[in-house]
Amino acid sequence: MTGTIPTPTTFITENCAMPFCKGCGHTHVLRKLNDALMKLQIPPSKVNLVTDIGCIGLADALFETPHTVHTTHGRSTAFATGIELADSVLSDSKLKTVVLIGDGGAMIGLLHLVNAALLNVDVTVLLCNNFLFGMTGGQHSAFSPMEFITPTTPDGNIIPPIDMCRVMLDARAEFVARKLATDKDLGDVLAEAIQHPGFSLVEIVELCTEHATTKNELTGNAIRSVIEEQGQEFGILTNEKNRAEFGVLYADKNPRDQAFSASQKDDGLIPQFESKLKHQVGIVIAGSAGERVQSAAKKLCEAAVMSRLHCTQKNDNPVTQGSGFSLAEVILSPHDIFYTGIETPDAVIVVSEDGLNELYEKHVFDRLKPTTMLLIDSSLPKPHTDANIIEYPFRKEYGGAKAALKAIELYVQQSGLFPVEAFQTS
Amino acid sequence: MNHTYVPIKLRTGNQMIAEGAVKAGCRFFAGYPITPASGIYKSMIELLQRKGDLAISSPDEISALAYCVGASLRGYKAMTATSGPGWALMIETVQYALMTETPLVIAMVQRLGPSTGGATQGAQGDVLLTEFCTSGGYTIPVLCPSTPLECYELTVLAFSWAELLRTPVVILTDKEVGMTTESVNYEQLQLLHAADRISHLQKPTNGHGKAKTYEFTRLSDIPKFAPVGGLIKVTATGSAHNKSGELKKNDAETLEVLHHLEEKIRLRKDGLAIVKRDVDPEAETLLISYGITARATEEAIHIARKQGKKVSGLHLLTLFPVPEKQILNSLGKVKRVVIAEENLSGQYRSVISHLMKTQEVIGVNKIGSMITPQEILKEVL
Repeated sequence: MTGTIPTPTTFITENCAMPFCKGCGHTHVLRKLNDALMKLQIPPSKVNLVTDIGCIGLADALFETPHTVHTTHGRSTAFATGIELADSVLSDSKLKTVVLIGDGGAMIGLLHLVNAALLNVDVTVLLCNNFLFGMTGGQHSAFSPMEFITPTTPDGNIIPPIDMCRVMLDARAEFVARKLATDKDLGDVLAEAIQHPGFSLVEIVELCTEHATTKNELTGNAIRSVIEEQGQEFGILTNEKNRAEFGVLYADKNPRDQAFSASQKDDGLIPQFESKLKHQVGIVIAGSAGERVQSAAKKLCEAAVMSRLHCTQKNDNPVTQGSGFSLAEVILSPHDIFYTGIETPDAVIVVSEDGLNELYEKHVFDRLKPTTMLLIDSSLPKPHTDANIIEYPFRKEYGGAKAALKAIELYVQQSGLFPVEAFQTS
Repeated sequence: MNHTYVPIKLRTGNQMIAEGAVKAGCRFFAGYPITPASGIYKSMIELLQRKGDLAISSPDEISALAYCVGASLRGYKAMTATSGPGWALMIETVQYALMTETPLVIAMVQRLGPSTGGATQGAQGDVLLTEFCTSGGYTIPVLCPSTPLECYELTVLAFSWAELLRTPVVILTDKEVGMTTESVNYEQLQLLHAADRISHLQKPTNGHGKAKTYEFTRLSDIPKFAPVGGLIKVTATGSAHNKSGELKKNDAETLEVLHHLEEKIRLRKDGLAIVKRDVDPEAETLLISYGITARATEEAIHIARKQGKKVSGLHLLTLFPVPEKQILNSLGKVKRVVIAEENLSGQYRSVISHLMKTQEVIGVNKIGSMITPQEILKEVL
């Protein structure tokens, strides 16, 4: 799949009419972005602009040659991250993705910005900060300065603005800059950010001439001091290459084309025993977390399969997983198993108090029939039930960790479902 | 020792969805842990990382699906897995995938809702939320396995449909299908072919290829795909757009694109229907079932027939597009249709009951635990 790679003469559509208000910073930003891309001479097919919602999100329609992906509000960086993850790990890692997002979207997508920075994917975010939501009527944003007057802060903003550059630094971003849309060197800084291997963010502070200037004494020249009064800095705040890109690190850990099938553990079970089982049986095994109840039940299933039976196993435990009861429900059958629940168990195995209490909770003992085999540890109080009770000191003889295993082994012996060797082999 | 090797393994439905995805050529998985879907995430990490393909954790479900959309736009088959609470977060991005005609597979392992609900309790309560999550109610294909084998096979199929139709596709299971371990005979697996998306040849004229991102002639045509990063320029957008991907308001071509999004699925609905029919031509009772409840229903049919009752079964492996033709063809002499599902209002029953013009439609509904064969049998006369 080869083709002639053209030398780009422009990325932005020639002579395109900018849809923005007179004096809006977005026009500067997009022209400077074009300058940066021209400077880098990246083939247009290797440039991808991902736009967010809001005025800056109109940018995709203005670029004729690069790929454009216009996304949902605040999520642009997440989509961009997905594209770059795939490009860096599954493809040739040559794509350069630039996100255009406003201050409103940046706060919605804070998580995505932080995660992209932590991952260090090759995404460049142009955060166009004009202090407000321009497209929807000038409402204040998380970037509005203190005392900023907007329709939603008519008496002045009382919430301090976020310093997103500092957040990005804390998220280990290695290229972070804050510039004015009118800075003459903006194009160069953008080129540097795009060229940076890995994540980069440039916050571009700009003026919304429609909404920011009517009630606030704000001019293009004044916005520098507004930012600085908030304790935020301008310039390239960091430019380092200490961390490898995500794709490089991932490829190191997970080299491509390992002998995939060979390394795949074949855990197939070979039938080598015969079972006398004619009907489906349901077995409930109850004990305590950490005492290998569910893994013992799995061995029962493996033994059953090796004895040409079908099986299902359901496990249950408290959400904390490491404490309280541990339960397994096993169905064994010579035929296909349809319904995977157990209404009336054919066998119940209880090896600890946690397990006993849980079975009371589930009213299991009310449902037992005279033919049910109830194997219970000798240390436990015997429940009132019709079942055929067999008690044995599993815990005393084998300890908690082996009680379930040994109880199941005894059940296999007593029931004669299949040779006990099958269970010992599994 | 002269044993015939029979490849029987112990597998959960979740594991089989992961294996099916890899079989289908899925090379990208982004995941966020949630019970009862985490088994898919874990399995995909094991299976994909071993091959050098990408399986990655995301910081939330919104990111998980957005990463998948991104990877698919870049040209790779992608999947994520979640449960109801995660699905709720993903809905915006599901709509984006639908609007941008981005192939995508989402495994939705249901648990008891609403809200955080019950993490370790199964349910069939997200049927409507899954299907009707788009503004406009566009049809999202939903496949609904009830066994580990079906989990594998329907996942392969889900990828084929997603790729060929350029649309998000959902595999809808629940905790009991996803987390129950069963003996699986791999020799019974159907060797399905997994389709790839139909792509443009990446041969540009004049250096840089031009093609409309959403080009089609007939409404039901599927636009040829071009990856972001390829030689043909992509103009993708989640806003209402014309065939070129340009944001437009109410012009004829844009409305045509919106019609096309539904028409490309609707026109193929008979081909997208998979059912298992177990018909007794004399039966006056038909049990329609799907998902975990189909297992109890099949057992109920078995018991009913042993008792000499005439009963038919129709097990739906695809819920949407609604397999109308297959349902209508199963009605025959049926006077009574019984549908068991683990939700209180009879969600799927409400979608199909209009098809039963003369039959009585009865729901067996319960939440909190699996519906038993006995509970279904009560409704079999």
